[in-house]
Amino acid sequence: MTNTFDTAHLPRRFFLQSMAGAAAFTALSPFRVSFAAAPGDQRFVFIILRGAMDGLAAVPAYGDRAYAQARGSMALSKSAYTPIDGFYGLHNSFSGFQSLMQKKEAVIIHAVATPYRERSHFDAQNVLECGAARPHGLRDGWLNRALSVIDTKSDTPGLAVGQTIPLALQGKIAVGSWSPSGKGIPPDALMLTLEKLYAQDTVFHSALSQAVNIHDIVDGNNMGKTRGNANLRNRQAMADTIKAVGKILSDPKGPRIATLELGGWDTHAQQGTDAGVLANNFATLDEAFKGLKEALGPLWEKTVVLAATEFGRTVSVNGTGGTDHGTASCAFMAGGAVNGGGVVGTWPGLDKTQQYEGRDLKPTTDLRQVAKAVLQNHLQLPLRDVEQHIFPDSLQMRPLDNLIRKT
Amino acid sequence: MSSLHAFIAANRFGFGAAPGDLQKIAPDPVGWATRQLDARYVQNALLARLPSTASTIKDSMGLMQRVKKAKDSGDAEAQRKMQRETIKGLRDDYIGEAAARTRAAIISPAPFFERLVQFWSNHFTVSATKRQSLPLVAAFERDAIRPHILGSFSDLLRASSRHPAMLLYLDNARSIGPNSMAGKRRNKGLNENLAREILELHSLGVSGGYTQSDVIALAKMLTGWTADAEAKGDGSGFLFINLIHEPGDKTLLGKTYHNNGVQEAETALADIARHPSTATFIATKLARHFVADEPSAVTINTLAAAFKRYDGQLIPLYKTLLSLPEVWQNPLGKIKTPNDYIISLARATGIDVEDSMLAAAYKSLNQIPFAASSPAGWSDQGKDWMGGEALLRRIDLAQTVATAMHTKLSPQDVFAQTIGPVASPTTAEAVRRAGSAAEALTLIFASPEFQRR
Repeated sequence: MTNTFDTAHLPRRFFLQSMAGAAAFTALSPFRVSFAAAPGDQRFVFIILRGAMDGLAAVPAYGDRAYAQARGSMALSKSAYTPIDGFYGLHNSFSGFQSLMQKKEAVIIHAVATPYRERSHFDAQNVLECGAARPHGLRDGWLNRALSVIDTKSDTPGLAVGQTIPLALQGKIAVGSWSPSGKGIPPDALMLTLEKLYAQDTVFHSALSQAVNIHDIVDGNNMGKTRGNANLRNRQAMADTIKAVGKILSDPKGPRIATLELGGWDTHAQQGTDAGVLANNFATLDEAFKGLKEALGPLWEKTVVLAATEFGRTVSVNGTGGTDHGTASCAFMAGGAVNGGGVVGTWPGLDKTQQYEGRDLKPTTDLRQVAKAVLQNHLQLPLRDVEQHIFPDSLQMRPLDNLIRKT
Repeated sequence: MSSLHAFIAANRFGFGAAPGDLQKIAPDPVGWATRQLDARYVQNALLARLPSTASTIKDSMGLMQRVKKAKDSGDAEAQRKMQRETIKGLRDDYIGEAAARTRAAIISPAPFFERLVQFWSNHFTVSATKRQSLPLVAAFERDAIRPHILGSFSDLLRASSRHPAMLLYLDNARSIGPNSMAGKRRNKGLNENLAREILELHSLGVSGGYTQSDVIALAKMLTGWTADAEAKGDGSGFLFINLIHEPGDKTLLGKTYHNNGVQEAETALADIARHPSTATFIATKLARHFVADEPSAVTINTLAAAFKRYDGQLIPLYKTLLSLPEVWQNPLGKIKTPNDYIISLARATGIDVEDSMLAAAYKSLNQIPFAASSPAGWSDQGKDWMGGEALLRRIDLAQTVATAMHTKLSPQDVFAQTIGPVASPTTAEAVRRAGSAAEALTLIFASPEFQRR
């Protein structure tokens, strides 16, 4: 049995914080917060799909009379999707998400887009992550601003899965990053000296403190040797990583908000239909949803996972068996806290005259309406903070009703 | 203050100081950098033996034919063997290419020249993350970037846009004019990818004043620009196929271009290179790389004015950059990328490792050469490189290098030759009081001062 007050056995995160002089007393508290307890206990995982995911390939609106013609050679065959409600289908690569939908733990929001209406990946990702109405409208990420108003007992309230922090999670609140197959933290003696060297440099100091906190959780769970691949481009790497992420999030003092990044969606050429490059990528994403439910165990009940992309792709196939940059796509949401089952959103139609600029799926839902539902109804943040601080200039964008289960 | 300026020159303009560099640079840091703007550095003995673009394409074609032959033979074992060998061959070539590029920067007497090569190569990113462009990414840097960095921006834009690595990476090689002979016959069409990224990432910048219809117009002009897979062209790897070129007039940024085959996009690229938005965009990227993550408007405007005044000629632009007072201030203003860090570690210590070890270091720090995750290239801002996990891996590498080299080096010499001019008293004292040479070297390499530029 470890005595928490025996300094020889203190976890390093405590040691580091007492060196820094701050929060030493709360950190040394032997009382761990239990799950049932406080607000600020919910978990939120945001999966950023970089490269513009083709929402019509993932969730075909086969019930739209214009579907087959508008999609042309890109239309899915009937055996490649599972009907959801007689109008929408779900690509069969999403078998895990499909079963979550049957359990009413997953929902799809279709024809959704950020407020950005041009077609640059990089500006669009900036909007998706900073949460402003236009590119570079805010310098920090909306998830970091959310963390600044969450009352958590966490040492490291935010976690980026990967070596570095995406803009969505960058900002005033110090957050950690973790990725599989690293060697862990240096020996204690070196750590102590580095702590002194880094005390003069806030960027380095903050990065080191957060790394130590995360590794205490990971190493304590014997996950330090997790195999895996930082870019998560294949299913097995995703599955391995998700297992570790589940353990990190399950720690009572662990992160409340985590980000994952998944690339490879920019399918300008030969994207495939029933099978192919895009279908394989869907399966990798599916693994994240399926794996998180398993890895989080009872905590799944307090969790929402949202996967969204910077914009969609053209409705029609381009000259090279792919799709070019478009506007609206779909977003995926799952979790024990989700009020799921179907597809949400107003369908804009696929007829040429119904398309945005005659080429893209027209957006009918603002992604901020989805994010605000998570912030208000799941993370239970005050409306005032959400409207004024986290998503400023979004008063018109009402949070979507009924996405989150009422407790 | 000359030792401080020597530190800035060595790290901000070069790739970190090798022993003796700071003393060599100190009397005239600007002169040291300016003398590297010399065409004799285009040729590099380390790179001379590596295959050209044309021979890489030829080898790839031969390989594909052998793969096909194995497939057609119906012999499953032969097919598997061929597949294994192909993957191994590609991997070995790639690791060798990446190592040669890094070594060229490590041992270079002209590290400013090498940094400029890598800056432009990143500006015009082609990435090995795409199978089709993988074999050609290193040849792209050698053939499309390296020979042109002392010429004009227009040369660079033309050479990068014509190179098969770019044409394959951004899908232009497959783009077909819908109203061309082939387009009508085969019901194929445009791919906007290259046209959009030329405007957004290579020239005007995303706020540079173009629209979706400009993207389509440029995409049409670029139809027919393909990779010369069957060696039908002039040996450069570029091939124009008029059969798939979109006929008719195109209007780009308010100017009408009459159908003129390959010349049409050539003219458009030259016009784009001279556009005022291009001047601002390139000035911003240079300022962000060499001055600060968030450069001031004054810095950007000065560089943009020089870009315009010298009509995109790059040597006078670099000289303007070197003449700015702000580039000689704030010596620790930027965080080194993993690539900067690895090269500067090797320059400081003289460590020589096998190609595969070098590849492992890059993989561990998440910046595999020629493998940026998007056509925007690697970020030039510290916030995108510094996370807890990223820092732990740097510390681990610092320790590995220190352990390997501590018997060959004097920590006090390494300290003086690298971070001496900028080290804080805390860092200096920690290095002095370290219990062993290996520990002292670890602290030098893991210090914030060594990780900044």
